[in-house]
Amino acid sequence: MKQQSKISQREQPLAAHTQQHQQGGQEFAGAEELLRFDASQTPVPPPIAERLKQSAPPAAPRSWWRNLFGA
Amino acid sequence: MTDPAEGSEVSVRPPADWPSAEIAALYEAHSRAIYYLCLRFLGDSQRAEDATHDVFLKAFRKLDQFRGEASTRTWLYRIAINHCQNLQQSWHHRHIMPSSDDAVWEQAASKADSPLRVLETKELGQRIQQTLDRLSDEYRLLLLLVADEELSYEQIGQLMGQSTDAVRGKLHRARKTFAAFFAQTA
Repeated sequence: MKQQSKISQREQPLAAHTQQHQQGGQEFAGAEELLRFDASQTPVPPPIAERLKQSAPPAAPRSWWRNLFGA
Repeated sequence: MTDPAEGSEVSVRPPADWPSAEIAALYEAHSRAIYYLCLRFLGDSQRAEDATHDVFLKAFRKLDQFRGEASTRTWLYRIAINHCQNLQQSWHHRHIMPSSDDAVWEQAASKADSPLRVLETKELGQRIQQTLDRLSDEYRLLLLLVADEELSYEQIGQLMGQSTDAVRGKLHRARKTFAAFFAQTA
């Protein structure tokens, strides 16, 4: 699994260098974990969706063969 | 510069009356990742908001051309990276210090081995942004992409136009440089 190998390879050097980001009572194993936490705390501003709703192109009608074959 | 990470949690769920369910699903699944990349790459919440809007608008318009050769997330990241880099080139506002990264890394290598501590949660987003702003575009982008667990090293290499081995090699130095700069923001 590529995802698993990526994570394991990422964590090893961090552990070797003992980089620890401590935030309050939390510890972060390294830059990526810190960024991941930051991303989880960063909401997407609702105006983006509202603007996109206005500017997004309408859905194209399904072609007859897609309707026929259910593609 | 405002930091939206300090705001209240807001759902990513798009309005129910979107032009198509496919577009709504695409936005719901990937808007958080794309917005975060734009925010931390550009370093400005309003510009990130505009960029995220433009990225998804481009994606919606090209949706019928997307052949599934890459993952949807990778495809959106490619649009976002190109868009953000074009914006940066036109703004000329960022002071880039690529050559200083290595110097700081060498000087602070021993410091980076020590635990880095964050005392105030509310300042964390600002500290992260200050740290990322001091990194080269390459290191900043690399760390932001690696932080997304949905991407493999191979996909990151494709997005950055580099081999997987090069990604791994540069990631080590990017981590060290980040840790050194981050310590200086305390």
